Amino acid sequence: MKKLVYSIAGVAVLAIAGFLIYRAMNTGLVYFITPSEYAQTPDKYANRRIQLGGIVEPDSVAFDDQSLMLTFNITDTYQHYLVSHRGAPPELFKPGTGVVIEGRFDGETFVSDEVKVKHSEVYEPPKPGEQVDLEELKDSLY
Amino acid sequence: MISLGQLGSSSLLLALALAIYAVIAGILGITRRDARLLTSARYTAIAVFLAMTAALAAMETALLLDDFSIEYVARHSSTVAPIWVKVVMLWGSLEGSILLWAWLLTGYTALLALTAPNTMLRPWALVIMQLVQIFFVGVSASIANPFKFVPDAQYIGPGPNPLLQNHWMMAVHPVLMYLGFVGLTVPFAFAMAALITRRPGTEWMTQTRTWTMTGWGFLTAAIIAGGWWSYEVLGWGGYWAWDPVENVSFMPWLTATAFIHGVQVQERRRMLKSWNLLLIILTFSLSILGTFLTRSGVLSSVHAFGDGPVGIFFLGFFILVMLFSFGLLALRWDQVRDQAELDDVVSREGSFLAGNILFLAMTFAILLGTIFPLIVEALTNEKVTVGAPFFNQMTLPIWMLIFALMGIGPLLPWRKAETQTLKNNLLWLICGGLIAAILAFIFGIRKVYPLITLGLAGYNLVSLGLLVTGVIVPRARITKKNVAVLFKQYAFENKRRFGSMIVHFGVIVIALGVVGSGAYRVDEQFRIDFGQSYTFQGYELKAIDKFMEQTPGKVSAGAIIEMYKNGKLITTKRPRINVFTGQQMSVPTPAVIYLPWHDVYLNIVGTLSPDQNYVSLRAIQSPLVTWIWLGGLIMALGTAYALSPNGRKVQENREIREGANG
Repeated sequence: MKKLVYSIAGVAVLAIAGFLIYRAMNTGLVYFITPSEYAQTPDKYANRRIQLGGIVEPDSVAFDDQSLMLTFNITDTYQHYLVSHRGAPPELFKPGTGVVIEGRFDGETFVSDEVKVKHSEVYEPPKPGEQVDLEELKDSLY
Repeated sequence: MISLGQLGSSSLLLALALAIYAVIAGILGITRRDARLLTSARYTAIAVFLAMTAALAAMETALLLDDFSIEYVARHSSTVAPIWVKVVMLWGSLEGSILLWAWLLTGYTALLALTAPNTMLRPWALVIMQLVQIFFVGVSASIANPFKFVPDAQYIGPGPNPLLQNHWMMAVHPVLMYLGFVGLTVPFAFAMAALITRRPGTEWMTQTRTWTMTGWGFLTAAIIAGGWWSYEVLGWGGYWAWDPVENVSFMPWLTATAFIHGVQVQERRRMLKSWNLLLIILTFSLSILGTFLTRSGVLSSVHAFGDGPVGIFFLGFFILVMLFSFGLLALRWDQVRDQAELDDVVSREGSFLAGNILFLAMTFAILLGTIFPLIVEALTNEKVTVGAPFFNQMTLPIWMLIFALMGIGPLLPWRKAETQTLKNNLLWLICGGLIAAILAFIFGIRKVYPLITLGLAGYNLVSLGLLVTGVIVPRARITKKNVAVLFKQYAFENKRRFGSMIVHFGVIVIALGVVGSGAYRVDEQFRIDFGQSYTFQGYELKAIDKFMEQTPGKVSAGAIIEMYKNGKLITTKRPRINVFTGQQMSVPTPAVIYLPWHDVYLNIVGTLSPDQNYVSLRAIQSPLVTWIWLGGLIMALGTAYALSPNGRKVQENREIREGANG
C-alpha cells in the first residue's frame, strides 16, 4: 500500500515537472536566427522573443540623443529589417559590425531591447554587397 | 642562472612526479599493510604542496617583475598595471587559475595528511585526493602550462581583461570559488574511501564535517561575491543573469546544500546512506563538469568543441569520475542500502528528504536549461538560447516550497511528529505568514511572488522564534534565570544549531532582496544637459559637469551628478567610463548609491566626448538589493559561527556521551 502511494506520488511529481519544463521552455526558449531565416517563416516567430544576428547596414544608423532612440537596419546581405532600439548605442557599435539583437517583431520593424556587439577574432564580418555563406555568418555571431 | 619559467615548469613536473609517487606508495602501503609506505605517502603530500608553492611563487614573481619571456605574463599582464592587479592576474586567465586551483588542492591535501585522524579511511582518502591532484597538477604541467616561453621578450601585452581589473572584488571571488570546490573534494575523497573500505556508515561524514562546512561556506560566499561584482561593474544593475558560467557554480552549491542536510538525517537516523553518497559524488562531478562547460567554449558555440585544449581534458576527467564513483557505488550497493525506513513523512527526516529532492530537482532544471542549446542544436541544427524566464519559472516555485519546508522542518521532531505539536506549530507559522502577507498587501504589494515570499519570510521568522523560545521558555520556567542570559547560554552551547539558524535567517534576508529587486525594479534611460536636473523616482539628479581623469594604465571620463531628495543634497556621485591602456573596449564604473530600502544605480550610456554638453544616463532603482549582500554576509558569519571551535567541542562531547548511552 505504502509503495503504491509512493509510486503514484512519484509519477505525479514527474508529470508536474514535465509540464512545468514544457511551459517554461515555451517562454524561455529564444531562437537565434538571421534576417533571411525570419523572412522564410515569419509566422513561426510571430509574437515570440527572438535573437536576430546580422550586420549593421552602413548609412542606416540614426540616433536621436533627445529621445535616446537608436534606429538602424540589420542585414545578412540578403534580407534586411529596420530595428528600433530604445537606448544609446553600445560600446563598439559601428556600421558594418556584427550584432545580435534581442526583442520581437512588430510588423516589419524589429523592436529590440538588447543590442550586443559581436567581435569575433576568427571571422571578419562581410562587407555589404559581398556574397556570404549564411551558415558561416550565423556561426560567427552565435 | 635559470629563468623563472624554467623554475616554474620544473616545479610543476616535480610536483606531478611526487603526486604520482604518493598514489603508488599509498596503494602499495594499503595492500601490503606497510605502515612505512603509508607514512611516506602521507608526508609526500607536503612535498607536493611545497613544489606547487614554488611554482606559484615563480609565477607571482614573474608577474610582479613583468617577465615577458613567459607567455602568460606577456599576454595577460602589463607593466603599467597596479601591483594588486599584477598579483591577482595569477587567476585572471585560464592557465593561471588552474595553477591556483591545483595549488589550493595540494594545500588542502597536505593539511589533510597532517591533521586527519588516523582511521581506516585516511589512507584511501589521501589516495583519492592525490589522484585528483594528479589530474590538476598534470593539466597545469602540460596542456595548460602557464610557464610557456615566448622568444620575443620585448612584447608588451594588452594587459589584464578590463572587466577584471575594474573592481577589487575580482581579486576575491575566484579564490573563494576554488576554496569552495577544493573544500568539497575532501568529503568526496572520504566518501570514496568509505566505499572502497566497505565502511559506508557515518564515519566518513563526521570526519569531514569541518571540511564540508568550510567548503560550502566558501562556495556560498563566492556566489554572492560574484553577484556583487557583476552588480558593481557590468552596468546593467543586475547581479544574476542565468549565464552558463553562473549556473555551473550554482549547481554544485545546490547539491552541496542538499548534502549538508542529508548528513544530519544519516547521523541521527542512519538513513539516506546511498542518497548522501550520490549527493557528494554529484557535487564533485558538477564542479568538474562546470569547468568543462565554461572553459571549453561548447556553450557559446558547439563548433569550438575541439578548440579549447583544456575543456576536453575536463570532460574526460568528468566521465572518469562518474564511471569510477558510480561504479563503486553499484559494487557496494548491498552495503549502502538503508536498514531504517522512513517512519512518517511528517517528521524532521521526512522534511529534510523532501527538501533534498527539491534541491536536486532545481539542479536538474538548471542543468537542463544550461545544456539545452547543445541538445537542440545536435537534434535540429537550430540555434537557441535559454533565457532567464525559463530559469525563473522553473526555480521560483521550487524555492517557495523549500522556504516552506525550511520553516517547518527544524520544528518537527525526528521519527514522527505528534499531530498536536504539528498543529500548534503550523498554526503559529501560518499566522506569522498571513500577518506578513496582509501587511505587505496593505502597503501596496500586489504581485504574486513578492506576496508569497513576504508571507514565507514572516512564517520563517516565526519558526526561528519558536525554535529559540521552545528551548528557552521551559528553561526559564525551571531555573528562573533571566531570558537574555539563557539565550546567550543557548547560543553558546549549541553553536552548530544556532549557526544553522543564523544561516537560515540570512537566506530569508536574501530572498527578500531577490524578490524586491526582481519584481519592483525601475529602469530608465534619459539625457541631462549640464546644469539641468532630471527627476527619477522622487530623486532630483543634477548633472554638474563632465570630468576627465588619467591614472597610470587607464583614462576615465565621467560626469559629476548630485542627487537631491526634497531639495536636500544626499550625495555627489561620479559615474564614469574607463579605457585601460592597450584595450579596445571601455568598461563603465557605475555609481551605486546604496540605500537600505532601494539602491539608485547610475551608469553612463553612449559617448561622452569633450565637446558634449549633456550626459546620457541609465538610472536603475532596485528595491532591497543591498539585502542580498547583507544576507550573504549573514550566511557566511553563521557558517563560521557553527564551525567555531568551542561549539563543536561541546557538540562532539555530547555526541560521544549520546553514543555511549545509546
